[in-house]
Amino acid sequence: MRALGWLLFGLFLLYLLLPMLAPVVYSFSQMWLGLLPEGFTLAWYRRVLQDPRYLEAALLSLRVALLAVLLNVAVGVPTAYVAYTWTGRVGEGLRRLLQVLPLLVPPLVVGLGFLLAFNRPPLALSGTFWIVVFGHAALGFPFFFRTVYAGLAGIEVRLLMEAAQASGAGLLARMRYVLLPNLLPAVLSGSLVAFAISMGEFEVTSMVAGFGTVTLPLLLFQSLREDFRAASAVASVLLYTTLLALAGLTLLKRR
Amino acid sequence: MRGERLLLLPGALFLLLFFAYPLWAILERSLSSPEGLTLARYLKALTAPAYLEAWRNSLLFATASTLLAAIGGVFVAYWTSGLPLRLKRFLLSLYAIPASLSGLVVAFGFIVLLGRNGVVNQLLGALGLPRFDLYSWTGLLLVFPFYNVPLFALALMPLLESLGKELMEAARASGATPFQAWVRVLLPNLMPGILAGSAIVFAGMMGAFGTALALTGFAKNLLSLQIYSLVAESAFDLPQAAALAVVLMATTGLGLYLLALGERRWRR
Repeated sequence: MRALGWLLFGLFLLYLLLPMLAPVVYSFSQMWLGLLPEGFTLAWYRRVLQDPRYLEAALLSLRVALLAVLLNVAVGVPTAYVAYTWTGRVGEGLRRLLQVLPLLVPPLVVGLGFLLAFNRPPLALSGTFWIVVFGHAALGFPFFFRTVYAGLAGIEVRLLMEAAQASGAGLLARMRYVLLPNLLPAVLSGSLVAFAISMGEFEVTSMVAGFGTVTLPLLLFQSLREDFRAASAVASVLLYTTLLALAGLTLLKRR
Repeated sequence: MRGERLLLLPGALFLLLFFAYPLWAILERSLSSPEGLTLARYLKALTAPAYLEAWRNSLLFATASTLLAAIGGVFVAYWTSGLPLRLKRFLLSLYAIPASLSGLVVAFGFIVLLGRNGVVNQLLGALGLPRFDLYSWTGLLLVFPFYNVPLFALALMPLLESLGKELMEAARASGATPFQAWVRVLLPNLMPGILAGSAIVFAGMMGAFGTALALTGFAKNLLSLQIYSLVAESAFDLPQAAALAVVLMATTGLGLYLLALGERRWRR
Protein backbone atom coordinates (compact mmCIF):
# COMPACT_ATOMS: atom_id res chain seq x y z
CA MET A 1 0.00 0.00 0.00
CA ARG A 2 2.77 2.37 1.04
CA ALA A 3 4.89 1.30 -1.95
CA LEU A 4 2.01 1.89 -4.33
CA GLY A 5 1.53 5.34 -2.84
CA TRP A 6 5.18 6.21 -3.36
CA LEU A 7 5.04 4.90 -6.91
CA LEU A 8 2.01 7.07 -7.72
CA PHE A 9 3.58 10.08 -6.02
CA GLY A 10 6.81 9.53 -7.95
CA LEU A 11 4.85 9.42 -11.20
CA PHE A 12 3.12 12.65 -10.24
CA LEU A 13 6.46 14.36 -9.58
CA LEU A 14 7.73 13.17 -12.97
CA TYR A 15 4.55 14.48 -14.58
CA LEU A 16 5.15 17.85 -12.91
CA LEU A 17 8.89 18.12 -13.54
CA LEU A 18 9.36 16.67 -17.03
CA PRO A 19 7.26 19.26 -18.91
CA MET A 20 9.31 21.97 -17.19
CA LEU A 21 12.59 20.24 -17.90
CA ALA A 22 11.82 19.45 -21.55
CA PRO A 23 12.12 23.02 -22.96
CA VAL A 24 15.39 23.51 -21.06
CA VAL A 25 16.97 20.29 -22.34
CA TYR A 26 15.69 21.07 -25.83
CA SER A 27 17.16 24.57 -25.73
CA PHE A 28 20.66 23.26 -24.92
CA SER A 29 20.73 20.38 -27.42
CA GLN A 30 21.88 20.36 -31.04
CA MET A 31 19.40 17.75 -32.13
CA TRP A 32 16.55 15.86 -30.55
CA LEU A 33 15.30 13.44 -33.15
CA GLY A 34 15.47 10.14 -31.35
CA LEU A 35 14.68 9.22 -27.78
CA LEU A 36 17.43 11.32 -26.26
CA PRO A 37 18.80 14.74 -27.22
CA GLU A 38 22.25 14.92 -28.83
CA GLY A 39 25.07 17.40 -28.46
CA PHE A 40 25.33 20.46 -26.22
CA THR A 41 24.98 23.88 -27.81
CA LEU A 42 24.27 27.49 -26.96
CA ALA A 43 23.39 28.28 -30.56
CA TRP A 44 19.66 28.78 -29.94
CA TYR A 45 20.28 31.25 -27.13
CA ARG A 46 22.79 33.02 -29.38
CA ARG A 47 20.23 33.17 -32.17
CA VAL A 48 17.69 34.70 -29.83
CA LEU A 49 20.18 37.19 -28.41
CA GLN A 50 21.29 38.28 -31.86
CA ASP A 51 17.77 38.86 -33.09
CA PRO A 52 16.81 42.39 -31.99
CA ARG A 53 13.11 41.45 -31.98
CA TYR A 54 13.59 39.17 -28.99
CA LEU A 55 15.63 41.67 -27.03
CA GLU A 56 13.06 44.38 -27.70
CA ALA A 57 10.23 42.08 -26.66
CA ALA A 58 12.07 41.07 -23.49
CA LEU A 59 12.68 44.69 -22.52
CA LEU A 60 9.05 45.54 -23.24
CA SER A 61 7.89 42.61 -21.07
CA LEU A 62 10.15 43.81 -18.26
CA ARG A 63 8.83 47.35 -18.46
CA VAL A 64 5.23 46.16 -18.51
CA ALA A 65 5.79 43.81 -15.57
CA LEU A 66 7.56 46.42 -13.45
CA LEU A 67 4.88 49.05 -14.06
CA ALA A 68 2.09 46.55 -13.41
CA VAL A 69 3.78 45.61 -10.12
CA LEU A 70 4.24 49.28 -9.14
CA LEU A 71 0.57 49.95 -9.80
CA ASN A 72 -0.34 46.94 -7.68
CA VAL A 73 1.83 48.18 -4.81
CA ALA A 74 0.40 51.69 -5.00
CA VAL A 75 -3.19 50.47 -5.04
CA GLY A 76 -2.99 47.09 -3.32
CA VAL A 77 -1.21 48.07 -0.10
CA PRO A 78 -3.71 50.76 1.00
CA THR A 79 -6.63 48.56 -0.11
CA ALA A 80 -5.39 45.56 1.85
CA TYR A 81 -4.74 47.79 4.87
CA VAL A 82 -8.27 49.20 4.87
CA ALA A 83 -9.78 45.76 4.24
CA TYR A 84 -7.83 44.44 7.23
CA THR A 85 -8.50 47.26 9.69
CA TRP A 86 -12.06 48.11 8.68
CA THR A 87 -13.64 45.23 10.46
CA GLY A 88 -17.16 44.25 9.62
CA ARG A 89 -18.92 44.51 6.34
CA VAL A 90 -16.44 46.48 4.23
CA GLY A 91 -13.43 44.29 4.99
CA GLU A 92 -15.43 41.10 4.62
CA GLY A 93 -16.98 42.33 1.37
CA LEU A 94 -13.63 43.30 -0.14
CA ARG A 95 -12.10 39.95 0.77
CA ARG A 96 -15.06 38.07 -0.72
CA LEU A 97 -15.05 40.21 -3.85
CA LEU A 98 -11.36 39.75 -4.51
CA GLN A 99 -11.65 36.04 -3.88
CA VAL A 100 -14.47 35.55 -6.37
CA LEU A 101 -13.37 38.12 -8.95
CA PRO A 102 -10.55 36.12 -10.60
CA LEU A 103 -12.83 33.06 -10.68
CA LEU A 104 -15.82 34.79 -12.20
CA VAL A 105 -13.83 37.08 -14.48
CA PRO A 106 -11.21 34.92 -16.22
CA PRO A 107 -8.37 36.52 -18.25
CA LEU A 108 -10.44 35.94 -21.39
CA VAL A 109 -13.20 38.22 -20.08
CA VAL A 110 -10.71 40.81 -18.77
CA GLY A 111 -9.20 40.97 -22.26
CA LEU A 112 -12.54 41.30 -24.02
CA GLY A 113 -13.78 43.85 -21.48
CA PHE A 114 -10.66 45.99 -21.89
CA LEU A 115 -10.99 45.82 -25.64
CA LEU A 116 -14.59 47.03 -25.49
CA ALA A 117 -14.20 49.57 -22.68
CA PHE A 118 -11.03 51.33 -23.73
CA ASN A 119 -11.59 51.76 -27.44
CA ARG A 120 -13.16 55.21 -27.37
CA PRO A 121 -12.37 58.59 -25.86
CA PRO A 122 -11.75 59.61 -23.13
CA LEU A 123 -10.01 56.28 -22.58
CA ALA A 124 -8.91 55.25 -26.06
CA LEU A 125 -6.12 52.91 -25.06
CA SER A 126 -6.60 50.05 -27.51
CA GLY A 127 -3.34 48.73 -28.86
CA THR A 128 -1.21 51.00 -26.67
CA PHE A 129 1.49 50.17 -24.17
CA TRP A 130 -0.68 51.27 -21.25
CA ILE A 131 -3.59 48.95 -21.95
CA VAL A 132 -1.15 46.03 -21.60
CA VAL A 133 0.17 47.43 -18.30
CA PHE A 134 -3.34 47.98 -16.93
CA GLY A 135 -4.47 44.53 -18.08
CA HIS A 136 -1.56 42.84 -16.34
CA ALA A 137 -2.14 44.94 -13.22
CA ALA A 138 -5.79 43.88 -13.15
CA LEU A 139 -4.86 40.19 -13.52
CA GLY A 140 -2.24 40.35 -10.77
CA PHE A 141 -4.29 42.42 -8.34
CA PRO A 142 -6.24 39.62 -6.60
CA PHE A 143 -3.01 37.65 -6.07
CA PHE A 144 -1.13 40.70 -4.80
CA PHE A 145 -3.98 41.66 -2.48
CA ARG A 146 -4.21 38.16 -1.03
CA THR A 147 -0.49 38.03 -0.23
CA VAL A 148 -0.36 41.47 1.39
CA TYR A 149 -3.54 40.80 3.33
CA ALA A 150 -2.01 37.63 4.76
CA GLY A 151 1.11 39.63 5.64
CA LEU A 152 -0.94 42.17 7.61
CA ALA A 153 -2.17 39.39 9.88
CA GLY A 154 1.44 38.77 10.92
CA ILE A 155 2.23 42.26 12.29
CA GLU A 156 0.61 44.37 15.01
CA VAL A 157 -0.52 46.79 12.37
CA ARG A 158 -3.24 48.61 14.29
CA LEU A 159 -0.98 49.22 17.28
CA LEU A 160 1.85 50.47 15.08
CA MET A 161 -0.31 52.87 13.13
CA GLU A 162 -2.00 54.27 16.25
CA ALA A 163 1.36 54.83 17.90
CA ALA A 164 2.59 56.65 14.80
CA GLN A 165 -0.52 58.79 14.72
CA ALA A 166 -0.18 59.64 18.40
CA SER A 167 3.31 60.90 17.72
CA GLY A 168 1.94 63.21 15.05
CA ALA A 169 2.59 61.38 11.78
CA GLY A 170 0.13 62.24 9.01
CA LEU A 171 -1.64 59.66 6.89
CA LEU A 172 0.89 59.58 4.06
CA ALA A 173 3.85 59.59 6.45
CA ARG A 174 2.31 56.67 8.33
CA MET A 175 1.86 54.72 5.13
CA ARG A 176 5.33 55.52 3.89
CA TYR A 177 7.38 55.19 7.09
CA VAL A 178 5.40 52.76 9.24
CA LEU A 179 3.18 50.50 7.18
CA LEU A 180 5.34 49.93 4.13
CA PRO A 181 8.62 49.03 5.93
CA ASN A 182 6.84 46.64 8.29
CA LEU A 183 4.96 45.04 5.45
CA LEU A 184 7.98 44.84 3.18
CA PRO A 185 8.34 41.03 3.04
CA ALA A 186 4.66 40.60 2.15
CA VAL A 187 4.77 43.43 -0.40
CA LEU A 188 7.86 41.88 -2.00
CA SER A 189 6.21 38.45 -2.07
CA GLY A 190 3.08 39.83 -3.69
CA SER A 191 5.20 41.79 -6.16
CA LEU A 192 7.12 38.67 -7.18
CA VAL A 193 3.89 36.77 -7.84
CA ALA A 194 2.44 39.65 -9.86
CA PHE A 195 5.76 40.00 -11.71
CA ALA A 196 5.88 36.31 -12.64
CA ILE A 197 2.27 36.36 -13.85
CA SER A 198 2.90 39.44 -15.97
CA MET A 199 6.12 38.13 -17.53
CA GLY A 200 4.40 34.95 -18.76
CA GLU A 201 1.01 36.44 -19.59
CA PHE A 202 -0.20 35.58 -23.06
CA GLU A 203 -4.00 35.47 -23.05
CA VAL A 204 -5.00 39.05 -22.27
CA THR A 205 -1.94 40.50 -23.98
CA SER A 206 -2.76 38.83 -27.28
CA MET A 207 -6.24 40.33 -27.15
CA VAL A 208 -5.45 43.93 -26.28
CA ALA A 209 -1.92 44.47 -27.62
CA GLY A 210 -1.22 46.19 -30.92
CA PHE A 211 1.59 45.70 -33.38
CA GLY A 212 3.77 48.01 -31.33
CA THR A 213 3.46 46.02 -28.11
CA VAL A 214 4.77 42.55 -28.84
CA THR A 215 5.75 41.10 -25.47
CA LEU A 216 8.04 38.11 -25.08
CA PRO A 217 5.19 35.56 -24.73
CA LEU A 218 3.52 36.98 -27.86
CA LEU A 219 6.75 36.53 -29.78
CA LEU A 220 7.09 33.02 -28.36
CA PHE A 221 3.65 32.18 -29.72
CA GLN A 222 4.83 33.20 -33.20
CA SER A 223 8.09 31.27 -32.85
CA LEU A 224 6.22 28.11 -31.85
CA ARG A 225 5.12 27.94 -35.49
CA GLU A 226 8.09 29.50 -37.26
CA ASP A 227 11.24 28.60 -35.38
CA PHE A 228 10.93 25.83 -32.81
CA ARG A 229 14.63 26.12 -31.87
CA ALA A 230 14.44 29.78 -30.97
CA ALA A 231 11.14 29.04 -29.25
CA SER A 232 12.84 26.53 -26.95
CA ALA A 233 15.32 29.19 -25.81
CA VAL A 234 12.59 31.79 -25.24
CA ALA A 235 10.37 29.31 -23.40
CA SER A 236 13.34 28.41 -21.19
CA VAL A 237 14.06 32.06 -20.43
CA LEU A 238 10.42 32.55 -19.37
CA LEU A 239 10.74 29.46 -17.20
CA TYR A 240 13.94 30.78 -15.56
CA THR A 241 12.18 34.06 -14.84
CA THR A 242 9.30 32.32 -13.08
CA LEU A 243 11.67 30.06 -11.15
CA LEU A 244 13.79 33.04 -10.02
CA ALA A 245 10.73 34.95 -8.87
CA LEU A 246 9.40 31.96 -6.94
CA ALA A 247 12.82 31.19 -5.46
CA GLY A 248 12.86 34.75 -4.12
CA LEU A 249 9.41 34.13 -2.71
CA THR A 250 10.57 30.97 -0.94
CA LEU A 251 13.55 32.80 0.56
CA LEU A 252 11.25 35.56 1.83
CA LYS A 253 9.01 33.00 3.51
CA ARG A 254 11.95 31.38 5.29
CA ARG A 255 12.97 34.61 7.03
CA MET B 1 -9.20 56.36 12.45
CA ARG B 2 -11.74 57.70 10.02
CA GLY B 3 -9.24 59.46 7.77
CA GLU B 4 -7.72 56.15 6.89
CA ARG B 5 -10.85 55.14 5.07
CA LEU B 6 -9.73 57.53 2.36
CA LEU B 7 -7.11 54.90 1.60
CA LEU B 8 -9.86 52.85 0.00
CA LEU B 9 -10.13 55.41 -2.81
CA PRO B 10 -7.34 54.08 -5.06
CA GLY B 11 -8.62 50.52 -4.70
CA ALA B 12 -12.20 51.54 -5.40
CA LEU B 13 -11.12 53.50 -8.47
CA PHE B 14 -8.99 50.57 -9.66
CA LEU B 15 -11.83 48.07 -9.30
CA LEU B 16 -14.34 50.39 -10.95
CA LEU B 17 -12.09 51.23 -13.88
CA PHE B 18 -10.56 47.81 -14.55
CA PHE B 19 -13.36 45.44 -13.57
CA ALA B 20 -16.76 47.12 -13.26
CA TYR B 21 -16.45 49.35 -16.32
CA PRO B 22 -15.15 46.61 -18.69
CA LEU B 23 -17.88 44.24 -17.48
CA TRP B 24 -20.45 46.96 -18.11
CA ALA B 25 -18.96 47.51 -21.57
CA ILE B 26 -19.35 43.77 -22.33
CA LEU B 27 -22.98 43.77 -21.23
CA GLU B 28 -23.76 46.97 -23.11
CA ARG B 29 -22.14 45.87 -26.38
CA SER B 30 -23.83 42.46 -26.25
CA LEU B 31 -27.26 44.13 -26.06
CA SER B 32 -26.96 47.25 -28.16
CA SER B 33 -27.81 47.68 -31.82
CA PRO B 34 -28.40 50.71 -34.05
CA GLU B 35 -32.14 50.31 -33.43
CA GLY B 36 -31.89 50.07 -29.66
CA LEU B 37 -31.70 47.00 -27.47
CA THR B 38 -31.53 43.54 -29.00
CA LEU B 39 -31.40 40.01 -27.74
CA ALA B 40 -30.43 38.62 -31.14
CA ARG B 41 -26.88 37.73 -30.09
CA TYR B 42 -28.07 35.86 -27.02
CA LEU B 43 -30.60 34.05 -29.16
CA LYS B 44 -27.77 33.08 -31.48
CA ALA B 45 -25.54 32.10 -28.54
CA LEU B 46 -28.25 29.79 -27.22
CA THR B 47 -29.46 28.30 -30.52
CA ALA B 48 -26.61 28.18 -33.07
CA PRO B 49 -25.41 24.55 -33.16
CA ALA B 50 -21.70 25.48 -33.10
CA TYR B 51 -22.14 27.62 -29.96
CA LEU B 52 -24.34 25.05 -28.25
CA GLU B 53 -21.73 22.40 -28.94
CA ALA B 54 -19.00 24.70 -27.63
CA TRP B 55 -21.00 25.34 -24.47
CA ARG B 56 -21.59 21.63 -23.92
CA ASN B 57 -17.94 20.79 -24.62
CA SER B 58 -16.73 23.46 -22.19
CA LEU B 59 -19.06 22.25 -19.48
CA LEU B 60 -18.02 18.62 -19.98
CA PHE B 61 -14.33 19.51 -20.24
CA ALA B 62 -14.39 21.69 -17.11
CA THR B 63 -16.30 19.03 -15.16
CA ALA B 64 -14.00 16.20 -16.23
CA SER B 65 -10.93 18.33 -15.47
CA THR B 66 -12.32 19.17 -12.05
CA LEU B 67 -12.92 15.50 -11.24
CA LEU B 68 -9.38 14.60 -12.34
CA ALA B 69 -7.97 17.48 -10.29
CA ALA B 70 -9.99 16.42 -7.23
CA ILE B 71 -8.80 12.81 -7.39
CA GLY B 72 -5.18 13.79 -8.03
CA GLY B 73 -5.28 16.74 -5.64
CA VAL B 74 -6.63 14.80 -2.67
CA PHE B 75 -3.98 12.14 -3.15
CA VAL B 76 -1.12 14.60 -3.62
CA ALA B 77 -2.19 16.76 -0.66
CA TYR B 78 -2.56 13.69 1.57
CA TRP B 79 0.80 12.25 0.56
CA THR B 80 2.58 15.59 0.84
CA SER B 81 1.18 16.34 4.30
CA GLY B 82 2.72 13.13 5.64
CA LEU B 83 6.28 14.03 4.53
CA PRO B 84 9.07 15.53 6.66
CA LEU B 85 8.85 19.30 7.07
CA ARG B 86 11.80 20.32 4.86
CA LEU B 87 10.71 18.15 1.97
CA LYS B 88 7.15 19.35 2.40
CA ARG B 89 8.25 23.00 2.23
CA PHE B 90 10.18 22.32 -0.94
CA LEU B 91 7.24 20.54 -2.53
CA LEU B 92 4.83 23.35 -1.65
CA SER B 93 7.11 25.78 -3.49
CA LEU B 94 7.18 23.37 -6.41
CA TYR B 95 3.37 23.18 -6.53
CA ALA B 96 3.21 26.98 -6.77
CA ILE B 97 5.13 27.04 -10.07
CA PRO B 98 2.46 25.97 -12.62
CA ALA B 99 0.02 28.73 -11.62
CA SER B 100 2.50 31.49 -12.49
CA LEU B 101 4.15 29.73 -15.42
CA SER B 102 3.32 30.90 -18.93
CA GLY B 103 0.82 28.58 -20.61
CA LEU B 104 3.04 28.63 -23.69
CA VAL B 105 6.00 27.17 -21.79
CA VAL B 106 3.77 24.33 -20.59
CA ALA B 107 2.49 23.73 -24.12
CA PHE B 108 6.06 23.64 -25.39
CA GLY B 109 7.10 21.11 -22.76
CA PHE B 110 4.23 18.79 -23.56
CA ILE B 111 4.83 19.06 -27.32
CA VAL B 112 8.45 17.97 -26.83
CA LEU B 113 7.42 15.07 -24.59
CA LEU B 114 4.13 13.93 -26.09
CA GLY B 115 3.87 15.55 -29.53
CA ARG B 116 3.77 13.64 -32.82
CA ASN B 117 7.54 13.08 -32.79
CA GLY B 118 7.89 13.48 -29.04
CA VAL B 119 9.89 11.28 -26.75
CA VAL B 120 6.96 9.19 -25.59
CA ASN B 121 5.68 8.50 -29.10
CA GLN B 122 9.17 7.48 -30.25
CA LEU B 123 9.22 5.02 -27.39
CA LEU B 124 5.73 3.74 -28.15
CA GLY B 125 6.59 3.45 -31.85
CA ALA B 126 9.75 1.50 -31.13
CA LEU B 127 7.73 -0.90 -28.99
CA GLY B 128 5.12 -1.29 -31.71
CA LEU B 129 2.41 0.30 -29.58
CA PRO B 130 -0.24 2.73 -30.86
CA ARG B 131 0.84 6.38 -30.67
CA PHE B 132 -0.57 8.92 -28.25
CA ASP B 133 -2.37 11.88 -29.78
CA LEU B 134 -1.61 15.00 -27.73
CA TYR B 135 -3.90 17.08 -29.94
CA SER B 136 -7.06 15.21 -28.93
CA TRP B 137 -9.51 15.66 -26.04
CA THR B 138 -7.59 12.97 -24.16
CA GLY B 139 -4.43 14.98 -24.79
CA LEU B 140 -6.00 18.14 -23.35
CA LEU B 141 -7.31 16.19 -20.36
CA LEU B 142 -3.77 14.97 -19.77
CA VAL B 143 -2.18 18.43 -20.02
CA PHE B 144 -4.46 20.52 -17.80
CA PRO B 145 -3.97 18.50 -14.58
CA PHE B 146 -0.44 19.93 -14.73
CA TYR B 147 -2.01 23.17 -13.49
CA ASN B 148 -4.99 21.80 -11.65
CA VAL B 149 -3.61 19.03 -9.44
CA PRO B 150 -1.01 21.26 -7.70
CA LEU B 151 -3.57 24.06 -7.45
CA PHE B 152 -6.11 21.72 -5.87
CA ALA B 153 -3.51 20.25 -3.52
CA LEU B 154 -2.42 23.72 -2.37
CA ALA B 155 -6.04 24.71 -1.73
CA LEU B 156 -6.63 21.55 0.31
CA MET B 157 -3.41 21.44 2.35
CA PRO B 158 -4.34 23.92 5.13
CA LEU B 159 -7.53 22.01 5.99
CA LEU B 160 -5.77 18.66 5.77
CA GLU B 161 -2.98 19.86 8.07
CA SER B 162 -5.45 21.26 10.59
CA LEU B 163 -7.32 17.96 10.74
CA GLY B 164 -4.05 16.31 11.52
CA LYS B 165 -2.92 12.73 11.67
CA GLU B 166 -4.88 12.12 14.87
CA LEU B 167 -8.14 11.83 12.98
CA MET B 168 -6.98 8.94 10.83
CA GLU B 169 -5.16 7.29 13.71
CA ALA B 170 -8.26 7.46 15.89
CA ALA B 171 -10.32 5.92 13.11
CA ARG B 172 -7.82 3.12 12.67
CA ALA B 173 -7.57 2.58 16.42
CA SER B 174 -11.33 2.12 16.68
CA GLY B 175 -11.14 -0.74 14.21
CA ALA B 176 -11.76 0.89 10.83
CA THR B 177 -9.93 -0.53 7.82
CA PRO B 178 -7.81 1.98 5.86
CA PHE B 179 -10.55 2.15 3.26
CA GLN B 180 -13.25 2.79 5.84
CA ALA B 181 -11.11 5.41 7.55
CA TRP B 182 -10.71 7.23 4.22
CA VAL B 183 -14.31 7.08 3.09
CA ARG B 184 -16.13 7.45 6.40
CA VAL B 185 -13.77 9.76 8.29
CA LEU B 186 -11.25 11.63 6.19
CA LEU B 187 -13.22 12.45 3.02
CA PRO B 188 -16.32 13.81 4.84
CA ASN B 189 -14.09 16.04 6.93
CA LEU B 190 -12.23 17.20 3.84
CA MET B 191 -15.41 17.87 1.87
CA PRO B 192 -15.54 21.67 2.38
CA GLY B 193 -11.98 21.93 1.10
CA ILE B 194 -12.68 19.59 -1.80
CA LEU B 195 -15.67 21.68 -2.86
CA ALA B 196 -13.67 24.92 -2.52
CA GLY B 197 -10.82 23.48 -4.59
CA SER B 198 -13.30 22.23 -7.18
CA ALA B 199 -14.73 25.74 -7.49
CA ILE B 200 -11.28 27.18 -8.26
CA VAL B 201 -10.48 24.51 -10.85
CA PHE B 202 -13.92 24.51 -12.49
CA ALA B 203 -13.93 28.31 -12.91
CA GLY B 204 -10.40 28.29 -14.26
CA MET B 205 -11.17 25.55 -16.77
CA MET B 206 -14.30 27.27 -18.09
CA GLY B 207 -12.21 30.26 -19.11
CA ALA B 208 -8.97 28.50 -20.03
CA PHE B 209 -7.75 28.77 -23.60
CA GLY B 210 -4.08 29.77 -23.83
CA THR B 211 -2.52 26.32 -23.56
CA ALA B 212 -5.32 24.75 -25.61
CA LEU B 213 -4.80 27.35 -28.34
CA ALA B 214 -1.07 26.69 -28.43
CA LEU B 215 -1.68 22.93 -28.66
CA THR B 216 -4.72 22.47 -30.87
CA GLY B 217 -5.39 25.91 -32.35
CA PHE B 218 -9.11 26.28 -32.98
CA ALA B 219 -9.60 22.57 -33.75
CA LYS B 220 -11.42 21.92 -30.47
CA ASN B 221 -14.77 23.62 -30.06
CA LEU B 222 -14.67 25.24 -26.62
CA LEU B 223 -16.68 28.29 -25.58
CA SER B 224 -13.52 30.13 -24.52
CA LEU B 225 -11.90 29.46 -27.91
CA GLN B 226 -15.08 30.58 -29.72
CA ILE B 227 -14.93 33.89 -27.86
CA TYR B 228 -11.23 34.27 -28.57
CA SER B 229 -11.66 33.52 -32.27
CA LEU B 230 -14.38 36.20 -32.49
CA VAL B 231 -11.90 38.68 -31.00
CA ALA B 232 -8.62 37.72 -32.63
CA GLU B 233 -9.39 35.97 -35.91
CA SER B 234 -10.97 36.94 -39.19
CA ALA B 235 -14.43 36.08 -37.81
CA PHE B 236 -14.14 39.39 -35.89
CA ASP B 237 -17.46 40.07 -34.14
CA LEU B 238 -17.05 41.76 -30.77
CA PRO B 239 -20.77 42.06 -29.87
CA GLN B 240 -21.25 38.32 -30.40
CA ALA B 241 -18.10 37.64 -28.38
CA ALA B 242 -19.57 39.82 -25.61
CA ALA B 243 -22.82 37.82 -25.55
CA LEU B 244 -20.87 34.54 -25.40
CA ALA B 245 -18.74 35.96 -22.58
CA VAL B 246 -21.90 36.73 -20.59
CA VAL B 247 -23.11 33.16 -21.19
CA LEU B 248 -19.70 31.88 -20.06
CA MET B 249 -19.75 33.95 -16.85
CA ALA B 250 -23.34 32.94 -16.11
CA THR B 251 -22.42 29.26 -16.49
CA THR B 252 -19.33 29.63 -14.31
CA GLY B 253 -21.34 31.62 -11.78
CA LEU B 254 -24.02 28.93 -11.61
CA GLY B 255 -21.37 26.24 -11.11
CA LEU B 256 -19.69 28.27 -8.34
CA TYR B 257 -23.06 28.93 -6.71
CA LEU B 258 -23.94 25.22 -6.66
CA LEU B 259 -20.53 24.33 -5.21
CA ALA B 260 -20.85 27.05 -2.55
CA LEU B 261 -24.33 25.75 -1.71
CA GLY B 262 -22.92 22.26 -1.31
CA GLU B 263 -20.12 23.57 0.87
CA ARG B 264 -22.54 25.41 3.16
CA ARG B 265 -24.79 22.39 3.50
CA TRP B 266 -21.80 20.20 4.32
CA ARG B 267 -20.54 22.51 7.05
CA ARG B 268 -23.84 22.34 8.93
